[in-house]
Amino acid sequence: MRRALSALAVTVIGVVWIVTFRVTPVPVDASSQLSPSQPTARTTAPRQPVPTQPAGTTTSGQGGDGSYTGSKIRTVYGDVQVKVTVSGNKITDVQPLVLPSDRARSAYISQVAGPMLRTEAITAQSSSIDIISGATYTSIAYKRSLDSALKQAHLG
Amino acid sequence: MGMPITVDVRDPHADPAALDAVFAELRHLDELFSPFKSESAVTRINDGRLALADAPVLVHEVLALCADYERRTRGFFSPWHAGHLDPSGLVKGWALARASAILDARGHRDYFVDGAGDVWASGHRAPGAPWRVGIRHPVERDKVVRVVLASDLAVATSGTYEKGDHIYDPHTGRPATALLSLTVTGPGIVDADVFATAAFAMGDGALEFIEAQPGHEAYAIDRELRGRWTTGFEALCER
Repeated sequence: MRRALSALAVTVIGVVWIVTFRVTPVPVDASSQLSPSQPTARTTAPRQPVPTQPAGTTTSGQGGDGSYTGSKIRTVYGDVQVKVTVSGNKITDVQPLVLPSDRARSAYISQVAGPMLRTEAITAQSSSIDIISGATYTSIAYKRSLDSALKQAHLG
Repeated sequence: MGMPITVDVRDPHADPAALDAVFAELRHLDELFSPFKSESAVTRINDGRLALADAPVLVHEVLALCADYERRTRGFFSPWHAGHLDPSGLVKGWALARASAILDARGHRDYFVDGAGDVWASGHRAPGAPWRVGIRHPVERDKVVRVVLASDLAVATSGTYEKGDHIYDPHTGRPATALLSLTVTGPGIVDADVFATAAFAMGDGALEFIEAQPGHEAYAIDRELRGRWTTGFEALCER
């Protein structure tokens, strides 16, 4: 039995904890994308439907498959802009196009302190997994840009 | 907080009412702690509309925990940024732990709770089979770099993609930039989550810090896309 709150109930498993941004910033449904044979049934009904975005939203007008670029949002750290890729009425990826530049980065590079443990060049794998652990964006500006992109995709 | 939460219960007699209780609790916590909600306790404290002394007891519980972690992480974890209170870094793991406690109290055993990529994996995905938790590749985001086999294990990742720095070193007020991603495993989701955030801010000292935390392991990815890990990490991974 799997359940989550979701704004995009039919596409994305997840709860959105703020009302003003209705879309989860995590585009990847780890289980359905990487492990298609889930043994358990999945609840797809929205737990708390958002009135402006009913479950089973269909694309129409200029929505549909493709990429949608969100508005550029200004923050004190710099501009933020994201691009959303939609396929089959699902969000398949959210890519940051513009993010605040890093003024302090150079000061940190190659300050290798302490003992080096084992090192490897990381390799990308497509494994069958249950859950993905990974950092996600949580900034307001990111969500605003995402929100505007999803409106264009008729998903927001 | 703005984060997606997934709960997946595999117990054969899973109780939908338990999930109702879990999500009611999460909503309640969000009402208290969301920095994005104009009427949350955190927002009202920052606006000066709510005195700390008058804040709900759960807020005091969180602030006490924050102070404890601030000490244990030598100040690398802090609920304060630029003069504003933002305990989100602790509240996420803490909320997941409270969700887990609700499921435990109702007799559930085999489940996971996942809050924006920070995971508490209880029991097994199927008899004899641990949960498979992938560590996201920081660039090729639909891929993973390692698979942790988790049973009664927390897996928390802090990081940034490309230029999206969003964890700040509280000592300098600047974004932490030495690492792209830091995954911490351990026996509790609150520790793992807070340690991941704090150690990420430590940058190159991250693995040494985690190495010193009993029961915890870590996998760090640096800006050159190199992985490094603590001595016990490999034993947790699928081979």
